[in-house]
Amino acid sequence: MPSLITTPPERAGADPRPELAIHEGRVLLTGSRCGDCGYPQAVNPPRCPICGSHGMVPATFGPKGTVFSSTVLRIPVPDRTPPFTLAYVDVDEGPRILAHVDGPDEALVPGSEVVLSGWSEHGDPVVRRSGP
Amino acid sequence: MTGAGTAIWGVGTSAFGKQTSLGGPRLAWQATVEALDDAGLQASDIDAVYAGTVFGDPGTVTRCLQQIGIVEVPVITIENACASGTSAFHEARESVEIGRYERVLAFGIETMTAHFDGAISPIASDPDGAQGYAMPSIYGMSATRYKYEFGVTDEQMAEVAVKNRRHAMGNPRAQHHKTVTVEQVLGSRMVADPITLFQCCSIADAAAAAVIGPLGGSRDPRGEVTIRSSALRSGRLWDHTTDKVWGWDIVADTAAQAYEAAGVSVEDINVFEVHDAFTIGEIITTEALGICELGEGGRLVESGHTSLGGLQPVNPSGGLLSRGHPLGATGLAQIAEIAWQLRGMAADRQVPGARLGAVETMGGGTAGIDGNACVVTVLEQVG
Ligand SMILES: [Zn+2]
Repeated sequence: MPSLITTPPERAGADPRPELAIHEGRVLLTGSRCGDCGYPQAVNPPRCPICGSHGMVPATFGPKGTVFSSTVLRIPVPDRTPPFTLAYVDVDEGPRILAHVDGPDEALVPGSEVVLSGWSEHGDPVVRRSGP
Repeated sequence: MTGAGTAIWGVGTSAFGKQTSLGGPRLAWQATVEALDDAGLQASDIDAVYAGTVFGDPGTVTRCLQQIGIVEVPVITIENACASGTSAFHEARESVEIGRYERVLAFGIETMTAHFDGAISPIASDPDGAQGYAMPSIYGMSATRYKYEFGVTDEQMAEVAVKNRRHAMGNPRAQHHKTVTVEQVLGSRMVADPITLFQCCSIADAAAAAVIGPLGGSRDPRGEVTIRSSALRSGRLWDHTTDKVWGWDIVADTAAQAYEAAGVSVEDINVFEVHDAFTIGEIITTEALGICELGEGGRLVESGHTSLGGLQPVNPSGGLLSRGHPLGATGLAQIAEIAWQLRGMAADRQVPGARLGAVETMGGGTAGIDGNACVVTVLEQVG
């Protein structure tokens, strides 16, 4: 994957992708946690989808996470040049998100440890391997 | 509320393939006229239409049906991703079941080559789609996870394509009529690791239709197929709390509902048409339908249990891997195949003595949920 960007890119209001932010030098995932049942999400809706509570509290998650699964997409999609590596990441204490992987064009093994590390040139959230 | 039951009175499909020059209406006429003739009905006998299409332009369904005389009736179009056609079938059946209408056309159409050169473009308004997450990568994720968690092998996945392509040799309406070997499947180019090209369904242009009415109400009731049950639902949230791959639970939940409503168990079912858009999809689905245990889907296909000649053939038509996948038409093509199987009309791909069949279709493309929609229906031979 070419060029990792480490300063927050400009973001359109309707951009549906998980939103990262830099806090005290660390890249974190923004979202919310239910004040009643603790359910975490990468968005901040008015009600909790699990318990129905109105008490969703803005929260940040990460920077560490664990790979649920991964693949390398090798066919063209609009505006992107293949191949690129993708992973579903269970962010520590947080939600599962899709992210691009900074590294070789090789699927990560499920269970691999990763860290949120910035943005792709297209503004996608990016992780890289941090451990086994 | 429910009467004496609901039946399929007739089915029809166009051929499946890349046939851009035919256009929607001509594909629709082939499928619909065949279904009406099969049911012994005129276009003017139809009380209502439920239709599935995903990429169709506004007005697609009325544009397809008006010139064969299906006019002055309610026409309702449903979008439920890959399950759009079976969702239309589900609603058509329900409308007859509750007595709202008597003779209903369930119809599905897609002219994929008018919209795409290759794979379907990711949905830009979706959290995953906006990252370039095309459909093959969804199944690549599942395959990576299955190799890691259950030791499913590349050869077992390839075996799904080998089996379904072999089945399609008996299906003149399929897009692909050429057998492939495990070596050819694994040697085709990588699309989304570890899924290779021959493990992906092709796009296609096609239409398919079924006429639904009260059980025993058609001109030749011996030609009817009883709809024992139909279930339709969206998925649970698919999040950090689950270790199941995407799409497993929705199929299991929908199947459980359909089996219970039909009063059958999976062992009773003689033949299945399932959503094999990608090889790993059939492996996951055969587990979720209960044909085998979780994690055993790779070994199941290898064992021959799901081949023609096996105990419970899956996708005797050749499936999506052989027909191609015109989203709105796929579900009704699956319904047509099981109807032909249960009437003993499936010629070279006939499952001998099939009395009970099931259809499963699952559609996705929305991040964070275990599938946009799944339909499972249980069908039975009359008499
Ligand atoms: Zn809650």
